[in-house]
Amino acid sequence: MSRHQTETISGLLDGELKGFRRWTTERHVNRCPICAVEYRRQRHVRRMLQANPSPVQMTDSAEFFWSKVKAEIRHRGVKRHQTPGLLPVWLRHHPFAATGGVIVAAAVFSAVLWMRAPEPLSHPAAAAPTTSAKVERVKTAIPHTTATPLSSDSSQVTVIWVSGLPWTPNMNAMKTEFANLDT
Amino acid sequence: MDAQHERDEDRVRESRHLIMRVLLALLLVGLAFNTQAASIEARLVRGSNDTKAVDSKLQDLEPKLKKQFGYEYYQQLGVQKARLQENKTRRLNLGEGFVLFVTPKSIVEKVHELDLEWTSGRASLVKTTVRIPEGDYLFIKGPAVADDWILLVVTVHGS
Repeated sequence: MSRHQTETISGLLDGELKGFRRWTTERHVNRCPICAVEYRRQRHVRRMLQANPSPVQMTDSAEFFWSKVKAEIRHRGVKRHQTPGLLPVWLRHHPFAATGGVIVAAAVFSAVLWMRAPEPLSHPAAAAPTTSAKVERVKTAIPHTTATPLSSDSSQVTVIWVSGLPWTPNMNAMKTEFANLDT
Repeated sequence: MDAQHERDEDRVRESRHLIMRVLLALLLVGLAFNTQAASIEARLVRGSNDTKAVDSKLQDLEPKLKKQFGYEYYQQLGVQKARLQENKTRRLNLGEGFVLFVTPKSIVEKVHELDLEWTSGRASLVKTTVRIPEGDYLFIKGPAVADDWILLVVTVHGS
């Protein structure tokens, strides 16, 4: 760690850094006075926040909140969140190595794709577990919007979840919004 | 001679009328069978946590809706029914600017293949092809309005 990275220090305090990255960051913080000050500052802020948590106010019931969370997870699928890594930081400071790395990665990826036997493309509808009603095809024409068939615990119910539709504060605003939205 | 001829002509007319009546009756019976075809019911529903959204019309559906969407209350904004006729597109005006276009494609053992398009204003919200057994439900989660969701409930009733 040759530069002062506040995000990395934050990751260290949050326990997100593991193994070699944790070791190099700790070593840098111990040696670099600027990062040591930043480390202590962030640690102080965290301790203050822990000591004085802000009251959480929820408009939704707990049951409803979790139903929304579960529905959103089912919709989005599993997406891994990655903190900025040591390698990308290093690559930012070595642009030629970054370009070379991208070319090599593309070549390896192409080779893997070429060698791999072709597999039939699966449609989201086909991936949905079989329920009594079956969604053969589903699509939406509105930009940044997705329509996904979801499995249901109930044998008599099938759900299509349309996400990304414009939010409006009331029914009149909604009518105006969709009246002007040409698909 | 002329009188005899007129009497015979009347008998011919009567028999013609009888045949026409029988044919008409058969036609009506055929139509009656045809009109007993399956029908689709589409309901526009607002899911909300506001007690104002309580609606007795959705008592039968409320547990299913609650399980899927989590809201405490559901209000029926509009409902439309239409008989299904193969490859004939029906337009169901559900209110609040929402329209559902339904085109039945086929029916196999009481499972209906339907093309559905849900629109609002000029926007096509979702287009889908579903195979839905009679009595089953298709729920579509639509746009969010304030803290509520607009939902579409589709079901096919048998003949």
